[in-house]
Amino acid sequence: MLRHSKKILVLLSIMMVLAVTTACGSKDGAKGSDENVLQIALVAKHEGIPWFEDMKKGVEEFSKDNEGKVKAWQLAPEGGDPAKQVQIVEDLIAQNVDAIVVVPNDPDAMRPVLERAKEKGIVVISHEAAGLVDVVDYDVEAFDNDSFGVLMFDELAKSMGGKGKFAAMVGGLTMETHMAWYYAGMNHLRENYPEMVAVSQQPYEDKNDDKIARDKAIEIINAHPDIEGFVGTSVSAGSNMASVLKERNYNGIKVVSLGIPSVSGPYLEDGFMAHAQTWRPADAGYASVNLAYKMLNKEDIKDGIDLGRPGYESITIKDKIVYGNAPLELKKGTFEPGNYPF
Amino acid sequence: MNKILNRKIKPMEKYLMLILVVYIGIVSMTSKNFLTMNTLIDLLKSSSGTLILAAGVLVVLISGGIDVSFTAVAVVAAYCSIRISMMLGIDNLFFIMLVSIILGGIMGAINAIIIQTLKISTFITTLGTSSIFYGFMTTFVGTESISVADKPSALLAFGSARVFNIPTFFILAVLILILTWFILYKTMLGRTIFAIGNSEESASRVGINVFKTKLFVYTYMGVLSGIMGVVYFSEIDLINPISLVGTELMIIAAVVIGGIRLTGGDGTILGAILGVSIIQIFKSTLVFLGLSTSWNDLFIGLILIISVSIISYGERKSNKEKLIFTK
Repeated sequence: MLRHSKKILVLLSIMMVLAVTTACGSKDGAKGSDENVLQIALVAKHEGIPWFEDMKKGVEEFSKDNEGKVKAWQLAPEGGDPAKQVQIVEDLIAQNVDAIVVVPNDPDAMRPVLERAKEKGIVVISHEAAGLVDVVDYDVEAFDNDSFGVLMFDELAKSMGGKGKFAAMVGGLTMETHMAWYYAGMNHLRENYPEMVAVSQQPYEDKNDDKIARDKAIEIINAHPDIEGFVGTSVSAGSNMASVLKERNYNGIKVVSLGIPSVSGPYLEDGFMAHAQTWRPADAGYASVNLAYKMLNKEDIKDGIDLGRPGYESITIKDKIVYGNAPLELKKGTFEPGNYPF
Repeated sequence: MNKILNRKIKPMEKYLMLILVVYIGIVSMTSKNFLTMNTLIDLLKSSSGTLILAAGVLVVLISGGIDVSFTAVAVVAAYCSIRISMMLGIDNLFFIMLVSIILGGIMGAINAIIIQTLKISTFITTLGTSSIFYGFMTTFVGTESISVADKPSALLAFGSARVFNIPTFFILAVLILILTWFILYKTMLGRTIFAIGNSEESASRVGINVFKTKLFVYTYMGVLSGIMGVVYFSEIDLINPISLVGTELMIIAAVVIGGIRLTGGDGTILGAILGVSIIQIFKSTLVFLGLSTSWNDLFIGLILIISVSIISYGERKSNKEKLIFTK
């Protein structure tokens, strides 16, 4: 037994040494640049998934557009682990970068480390984390939630000819952004399309889970065979409803939903989804990094300035939240089938 | 019914059937669209995955253990198998199924070996291994989702396949339930599973190889998880390996509602099926009743507490009659 524990100890120490050396090795990316080049790092949620690969393109493009003045790059934790993401930010603070842009997996877990970054005088920008405005310099959002919801529900009404029964599904009744889109959209319908009727008082929930979304979609079709429209504020909601309709080859329900090209694209092409909407991660990445750069250059950050990307040409600022007007509408033919950017 | 089962229906099972009938009656009266063939077929299809897992959970619980790693095993086995088949360019359901079964079986066997050799409790072991298996996949294979356009077409075909209008998923689930019934009640192996569930010590003293039995139990659970994983990813269009994990306790709850004791040595296939049916029917009738999802948790929690109370009350009563004071 003693011999065994010795072996385990030796093994453990080797692993620790390895961990330290590899961790040091991975920091090379930021070193060795001269003093005048500003260093801006964007910490994304998840390594290797299409959404953040596209965001990376935006960050790299910004770096290229401003070569010699800025070095901007993107990092993300493997597997989307919130603890690893915090670790990455801590490493960046140790490297003394000039600005950190973060798309947090868990805003509350990120809060203390961002406070430390601020104390060290690092410019901190968040994206998709309006709850962190008390810590960060600015939070960047692609659009304000009300107009995004109005756009979605307006497309639903238009595709249904302005009248009829429809069902609505959100990720969860407690998800702030989803509910903001839902309420704004429902108010818009009440004022402009009084003949549109929702089948349930409250929207259905899919918990952002594809299996639940699919089961609920089937139930909704069985329980309410007379609906003509369906609106989903999660990617799962719309794509699974479209998938069930496709399986049954039924065209009587118009589906409008949050969607990303790689998931929703095939249904848009087949006509089982009428409209999907999202925002372009590359543009959000570019604009967020650009905002950090402008702050480092002591430029005046105010309403109407241009962050250099479509939809972000004239931003509005409210309570330290920077809003673009950059919803990306997906319709049949927006992207070439099978060739989706994210 | 008694004749078909070749035994008396337990009071617990009668009580569950009564709940089901009353509940279905209420839903049918509220919504005229509920009691139709289409709804039934959709319900059978969406419950198939849970039924397959429940068969494995039943065997593990009877053996006196508990396994919380099966959802992780299902996702890891099926996702890795699909990635392997895509890498090799083999678009064949049987190949994907076979690789997933082998991977699931290996992970199940690892559980059994750790449980037996290190003598750690089954709950702690499987809690640990579920993170290890899942962590292994996220670190070395990744968690990139596979969209409907890139997904192997064999899986898409399997997802919508029907035989005489009955979803193939459900036929598969029924076959697995029959196989599980056969193993538990018609083989020597089944007897040893009940025996170690009642008392491992006594079982080993009468000459039962406890390790071999446990190896079978956990490997079987792993194999069924592997099958279920493929069913799961065939049913939904988007293959997303961060789903499913986290639902294991609900499936264990379903089996426990069916009158299967967590302490082992007791349990029936019919009970497990009824438990799963109740949970599935509650889950999938909320839209018909016009209720929000939160009702689901409330219902299931209530039924769980009531059923477990009934089991424990019945046990105490019968123990008193038989003058047993140990439990």
